[in-house]
Amino acid sequence: MLWTFSGGLVFAQGTSGQQPEQNDSILSLRILPERIMLSRKAASQRFVVLATTADGLERDLTSQSTLSVDQPSIVRVDPSGQVRSLQNGEATLEARMGSLKARASIEVESAGQNRPFSFARDIGTVLTKRGCNSSACHGGVKGKAGFKLSLGTLHPREDYRWIVEGGGYQVMSTEAKGLRKPRIDLQNPEKSLLLQKPTFAIPHGGGEQLPLGSQDYQTVLQWIRAGARYEDETPVKGLGVRGIEILSGEVVLDTGGKQQLLVSARLSNGRSEDITQSARYISSNPEVVSVSSSGAVEAVSPGETSIVVRAPGFVASTRVGVIRGLVSDYPQATATNYIDDHIFSKLRRFHILPSEPTSDEEFVRRVCLDLTGTLPPPHRVREFLADPDPRKREQLVDILLASVEYTDYWTFRLADLFRVGQTPTGMAEHGYIYWHWVRDSVAANKPLDQIARERITAQGYGGASRHFLNNGVVPRPEDAMAEQVRVFLGRRLDCAQCHDHPYESWSQDQFWGLAAFFKRVTRTEWTAFGPSVIYDDPNGPDPDFGAPADSARAIHPRTGQEVAPSLPDGIPVAAHEQTSPRHTFAQWITNHPYFAEAAVNRVWGYLFGRGLVDPVDDFRSSNPPSHPRLLESLAADLKQNGYDLRQLLKRIVTSRTYQLSSTPHPGYEDNLINFAHYVPKPLDAEILLDAVTTVTGVPETFESSDGGMAPSGTRAVQLSMPDIYPSPFLDMYGRPTREQIPERRVEPSLNQALHLLVGSTYSEKLAGQGGRLERLLRPGKADAEVIEELYLAAFSRFPREEELGALVKLIRQGASRQEAFANLTWALLASREFAYNH
Amino acid sequence: MKQAGCLRITPAVLKRRSFLRVGSLSLLGLTLPGYLEAISRASKAGRARDNISKAESCILIWLEGGPSQMDTWDPKPNSNFKPISTKVSGIQISELLPNMSRHMDKVSIIRSMQTEESNHEKAVYYGLTGHRPTPAMNFPGLGAIVSHELGRRNQVPPHLVLPGKRGSRHHESQRGIFLGPENDPMLVGDPNQEDFKIADLSLPKNLTWDHLQDRRSFLNLVDGFYRQKVERAEHAKMDQFEEQALDMIMAPQVRQAFDISQESAKMREAYGRTSFGQSLLLARRLVESGSRFITAAGHDLNGWDTHSDNDNRNIKQTSELDKSLPAFFEDLSQRGLLDSTTVVVMGEFGRSPHHNSKLGRDHWPHCWSLLLGGGGIRGGKIVGSSDERGAYVAEGRVSIGDLFATLYKAMGIDWHKEYMSPIGRPVKIANSIDDETGQPVAELV
Repeated sequence: MLWTFSGGLVFAQGTSGQQPEQNDSILSLRILPERIMLSRKAASQRFVVLATTADGLERDLTSQSTLSVDQPSIVRVDPSGQVRSLQNGEATLEARMGSLKARASIEVESAGQNRPFSFARDIGTVLTKRGCNSSACHGGVKGKAGFKLSLGTLHPREDYRWIVEGGGYQVMSTEAKGLRKPRIDLQNPEKSLLLQKPTFAIPHGGGEQLPLGSQDYQTVLQWIRAGARYEDETPVKGLGVRGIEILSGEVVLDTGGKQQLLVSARLSNGRSEDITQSARYISSNPEVVSVSSSGAVEAVSPGETSIVVRAPGFVASTRVGVIRGLVSDYPQATATNYIDDHIFSKLRRFHILPSEPTSDEEFVRRVCLDLTGTLPPPHRVREFLADPDPRKREQLVDILLASVEYTDYWTFRLADLFRVGQTPTGMAEHGYIYWHWVRDSVAANKPLDQIARERITAQGYGGASRHFLNNGVVPRPEDAMAEQVRVFLGRRLDCAQCHDHPYESWSQDQFWGLAAFFKRVTRTEWTAFGPSVIYDDPNGPDPDFGAPADSARAIHPRTGQEVAPSLPDGIPVAAHEQTSPRHTFAQWITNHPYFAEAAVNRVWGYLFGRGLVDPVDDFRSSNPPSHPRLLESLAADLKQNGYDLRQLLKRIVTSRTYQLSSTPHPGYEDNLINFAHYVPKPLDAEILLDAVTTVTGVPETFESSDGGMAPSGTRAVQLSMPDIYPSPFLDMYGRPTREQIPERRVEPSLNQALHLLVGSTYSEKLAGQGGRLERLLRPGKADAEVIEELYLAAFSRFPREEELGALVKLIRQGASRQEAFANLTWALLASREFAYNH
Repeated sequence: MKQAGCLRITPAVLKRRSFLRVGSLSLLGLTLPGYLEAISRASKAGRARDNISKAESCILIWLEGGPSQMDTWDPKPNSNFKPISTKVSGIQISELLPNMSRHMDKVSIIRSMQTEESNHEKAVYYGLTGHRPTPAMNFPGLGAIVSHELGRRNQVPPHLVLPGKRGSRHHESQRGIFLGPENDPMLVGDPNQEDFKIADLSLPKNLTWDHLQDRRSFLNLVDGFYRQKVERAEHAKMDQFEEQALDMIMAPQVRQAFDISQESAKMREAYGRTSFGQSLLLARRLVESGSRFITAAGHDLNGWDTHSDNDNRNIKQTSELDKSLPAFFEDLSQRGLLDSTTVVVMGEFGRSPHHNSKLGRDHWPHCWSLLLGGGGIRGGKIVGSSDERGAYVAEGRVSIGDLFATLYKAMGIDWHKEYMSPIGRPVKIANSIDDETGQPVAELV
């Protein structure tokens, strides 16, 4: 051991003996974690030395630094950064690279005492780390070969029973199938199935997962030898695990970069414990970043993904990015509000250049479409472009937010999400009532939490009560509940209906406890003279015509028992609150922290084409947000503003981030998730049809399936129900039926191509009387003027000089002026520039 | 999202935005039929299928409303109609279907279908996707799956519903969902109408080939700048579809496939001058041209849904069925199409064993019958049986998943396949009861 003197402290070096690199571009050094308490025998902690270099990256230089401890009798350090406790006391770990130093403080206590045993943690760790209880194996919905473990040791007591009692698992019953043969052998511990299978001593579908003689093998063997008891001594000593976290946070690597992740468990006594060695690591995209079984991430190719970490009972994830190349002189980007602070700081960390700000033309078209679903009229575009006022963009936003088109558009968006239609509500009349409630709510700028409460608790025959008529019958409680959770909390619980959620910690019991809040929803019979009334009947609904009787009573599919309403913390709802269980549920959902974040995420998704979590209602631990702190800030902002939709929209569209150009910097075209440029999105069906109508000036006629017609001039976004107004055009551009929660996708299709070429929509509107073209082609207007008007109408910009010159020539070549301009108009409508919001 | 189509267009083809289509084909030394054939061969490549001769297409004859099993394929004492013998000894069907009795060697009857939904909307969705409807997610339908697995042939649309009404249950339940819009069913109007025509497949009177070319010139100019600025995969895909669309409009083959007026009056009479009969005839034309999966409906809900006056209404329904269906089988057989075309004749459920107070029968999913025959299927068999009233399965329960597996096997598709939906939920293509994979019916395939 080499003793070196440095100031007043004496340090003992780690045994690597390697000379650290003299690297003058290192600006600072730090050690993670900064302080730690090591408890019990053989406690250890992995440390990582992070160096910030002049290029702005933070690199893991543990192996290139010299590590030493000042009290070698208290703790011992090895070159990889692993520190092990020896005896009680305090020590300091020092890392040195050249002239730079960093320190971490370590305290050791109870070094002589054994760690208390916990089946859930100690055996659970082996089962989790070795992948036994992963969703592809025994943790899957049905388990494997009859052996079922809970995913990530979520239910350790059940795991214990399956191991110790044996028997085959059945998905839809709590009974075990077949012979009850224990999977452990107390007389011959080495012969336990639990050990023989994973060591491949006997055939195992999962192959060899546990090396014979390894530490994990010994742990399990010793537990069986000691009697295979289910014990948990940890809560008594305050050592129960409350959560896990990845200390490193977001990681940015350059090509060839590597970093060791650090994972620690938060204990109930407030302290942390290092579980880096025993956690399970999965990369969500191994083509971007790979991760070793000990948590070392390595860059593979440029991109961004997440690493999911599992420990018994808990999941965590962190984002990891691999940058394409370092940007040496990263420009200062001016921020308008906190949104920009978050977005730009991540772009800077990831060495991604944000695009230029939009031109006024790009902005006016984009914001009109995003806030009102309409194209700005040519004279407004001219006005806006000519306006010298530096605050004109914000003024435009205010005008748009106060317009009637705003109400039309956001009614349309909400009606989609809320599934307003004839089939979803059973009758056209019901659909209208429901639609009017949505429209009134948007027009009044009703707070989003109030809208949610009104819908969830809706009774009677007005407004949102029609939501509880699914094809005319009351929905099953599990369907009704799962829909509210998905729409308002952005979580998809549905998998947990039949089994514990395969990827998340939602359990089947929690699912059914929540579903039970909806088991009383009943309707009266409908007649030709009166709508059915929705209410909560203490006895539950009568079995509907043809439907099985128990489907409306919230029967747990595995236990066969009726479930009482209970919130996810497991505490059942008090009897006196059970008369209006939906009110309790509504309070819970709107006060839940997920509510605000789901709402802001959805709105962000409408504006940017992609949420901070995407898909917008698929929040999962394995799908972390691209900007978690931004999400938190937006959610807090929304809550503080009383869940005001208009305020939220204004906040986002006045940010600099929203006003970035859609042209990416060269080399960054693939970067679609960090908002460095505005990613163009295809216009949704109704918006596109309305845009075609606006440009041609020939209105669309909508005939309803009962023979009536929408009033002349009705725009597609104003249609209350898609299913009573059939429209081949709208269908081919992805209009959903609203029988499920819509997931709109506008994708190219053959039908669209055929329709563009020869379809009636275009031929009728181009030939239509009284349209824009007819007006423009009256004598007195030069070709160039007409072209300019058409460009302003369709693209909200003036044609470029080259474009104008070439077009005038092409027009002159045509057989007739009328025909030539019809062809030009067709081309404008068929272009990608028209069909996309960019 | 991933692309499901099997069409491979060479880079040369993709860049031809400003050429005349037909003109430039000859520049490349290809005739139009040659070009179509090359496309067709390209679409067959890359599909994992064993090459033992399997059915190439499937026609689903959809009897919406739910026909009564004891008054049709599974005669019982509680029917007011008598059983009659058929061409196959040991098989008897209802006296309401005498013409079909001569074709029972071509088809088999499954008498032990058991499903789980008794509401029309839900049962149709269930019958066509194998899954119970849920607001959580949408499942691809049988036709979309077959179209996706077997791919496009000869430029004709691979997946169709006729006559199709947008938003109808049997249309909405057959979409491709995450398999992509190219597998959605094309809706075709009522082929029995005088003015029957396919929308968007022929040039309107005021548009000529030259017009289309002029428009393309303008489009290249107008979109040039944007396309340079923003080059994305969807734009290339749209270009591809625009090529295909032009080919379809200009190539006579596709329009001819839909031109039912080319059939002789005698043939049209034989099938029956009803929308059901003409739908079957058009379906035959379309499989001849290469379509993969066609749902021929033709009856609206009130047809088979005999909640009242069951017997008289059945007489009416079966008279139409008994005219068109035998003509259809006769025609397929004579043209040698029966070996390459799988045929299913079914509704969404059966009907109750007892009559209700209005002399009708109500919805009944617990035990019902369907017909299965043609390519890859052994005809002349009875699969499963019901109890003495046709009320419950006595033996050999067949689920929708089992039915799908049987069809897939007949068409050379692996019925164990699972797709991964975009949110990470595996979706079985043959989804049976209790989350099991369906099994092909051994007696039939």
